[in-house]
Amino acid sequence: MDKILKAGIAQISSRLGDIEFNKRQIIKGLHLGKENGADIVVFPELSLIGFGSGDIYLDKVEENLEALKEIIEETKKLNLWAIVGYVDKDERGFFYNTAALIGAGEIKGKFAKTQLTNYRLFDEKRYFKPGSTLPVFPTPFGKIGILICEDVWFPEAARALTFRGAEVIFVLSASPFDRGKIEIWDDFLKVRALDNIIPLVFVNMSGIQDGVTYWGGSAYYSASGKLIKRLKLLVDDFEVIPVDLEEPKRLRRRDIRVREVRREILEEILRAYEEMSKWI
Amino acid sequence: MDINIEIYLKEEELKLYKDIIVNSIRARFESVKASIGIVALSGGVDSSLVAALSKEALGDKLLCLIMPEENVSPKEDIEHALELVKKFNINYRIININGAVDWFKKRFEEIDFENKNEKLAVANVKPRVRMILNYLYANALNGIVIGTSNKTELLLGYGTKYGDIAVDFYPIGDLYKTQVWQLADFVGIPTEIVRKKPSAGLWVGQTDEEELGHTYYEIDRVLYCLVELELSVRETSKILNISEEAINDIYRRVIASEHKRKIPIITRLSRMCLDKDWKYPVDRH
Repeated sequence: MDKILKAGIAQISSRLGDIEFNKRQIIKGLHLGKENGADIVVFPELSLIGFGSGDIYLDKVEENLEALKEIIEETKKLNLWAIVGYVDKDERGFFYNTAALIGAGEIKGKFAKTQLTNYRLFDEKRYFKPGSTLPVFPTPFGKIGILICEDVWFPEAARALTFRGAEVIFVLSASPFDRGKIEIWDDFLKVRALDNIIPLVFVNMSGIQDGVTYWGGSAYYSASGKLIKRLKLLVDDFEVIPVDLEEPKRLRRRDIRVREVRREILEEILRAYEEMSKWI
Repeated sequence: MDINIEIYLKEEELKLYKDIIVNSIRARFESVKASIGIVALSGGVDSSLVAALSKEALGDKLLCLIMPEENVSPKEDIEHALELVKKFNINYRIININGAVDWFKKRFEEIDFENKNEKLAVANVKPRVRMILNYLYANALNGIVIGTSNKTELLLGYGTKYGDIAVDFYPIGDLYKTQVWQLADFVGIPTEIVRKKPSAGLWVGQTDEEELGHTYYEIDRVLYCLVELELSVRETSKILNISEEAINDIYRRVIASEHKRKIPIITRLSRMCLDKDWKYPVDRH
């Protein structure tokens, strides 16, 4: 029997630092998910505080943590799972660009972005510490991997999640539009799905803040690397998408690329990396 | 070096760019809770495009100010401005600026029009008078002033500081002039506006290309190489087959006009200097 995960994609426009507004949008998204039969509803990167908030990140962490509690409470009422982007704080007081996996009233896991962006308009290292772990999370619907935006522009993270047995990877993003950006993202997502024979669900921010357009266009790529569904460009949108978790297993019977990854080669990559690190 | 100079927008990009710009106008408007958008309409292609896109974004909450200087602004520009507001059904006012410009001129009677600086100083009064009128209307009507500068002008510094550059935001400020022409065609700006020779209209017979010493086609290709492709002057010269001297002439303008693209430099005394350390977005809630 086919194993289908019903993924609710909540493509929303978060306002910078307007946590009350963003929280209401997220709660609205949860209700839409419930009404439309989603197993889990996924929101974009930093959707609770707003991506590109500059120094507001430093000012409003507590407020965003308080709001997260209300969102968790709401998932309990709705008996629903969700993935929400917010700023987390550890016991040392360091901040992380984080996605919380919430399961019907409690946090089941957290993922902190591993590749912070610090070029062109991005300035994430001013605020955040990068995460260094790539966990997968068991849920009633399957094993889930989570990545945030830039993490998927590098091949390693999706690879690790695949090795750990992820059946689907959710990519939370707040990608600013510039020329050719949609095509590049399409290439990266397709290649990650193809390389790992794994379905990918891309959940991107929409709307405009400070003249920066978050281009939306959230998408679902099947384990065979096909673009199955694309949400609207630029504007808010919502869709519950059936994600086929059986396809990777079917494909991997004859497609040996995940199974036949060689330890010797992975070790060689690490040695090569260390050689590179000597001269940079 | 095999490099593709893709300044021209593809058909599918034109639609997307139009939507993004229209959305951005609406977003700024809503963010500041404005009641009206003000566009200074010269009858040229940049302001015509901004007016048309603003109309799509704001509907009737748009007012175009047509501010000619009689005997200096070409008659056809006023006709074009009127043609545009008619075609797109935009509210407008015509305000002649001669009285204001003359008042300033009279405060500076020793003016020598043979002196380049003095000629330019007086010419700059005109966009500054228009700026004052823009903000007179904007302040009175709870409005927001929508800028019409494009990327080519902003990079060259080809605009008057605290004049036409002084606005609330630049919806087409990331589009090169040649892209403005394309988008203008795409949204249905009358052909005679798109095709005519661009002019800042600061004195009789002025054209941008003559004053800048290069055609916009040439300038945009040079800027595209220097700015978008981040090539050196030498590489740009080789690729475009244009002399290094000509490219340096354009590049020097870019460097010299940085001050027009920034807020005034603040002397740093604290650890929270407002133009250096303080990083808050404008769309702040």
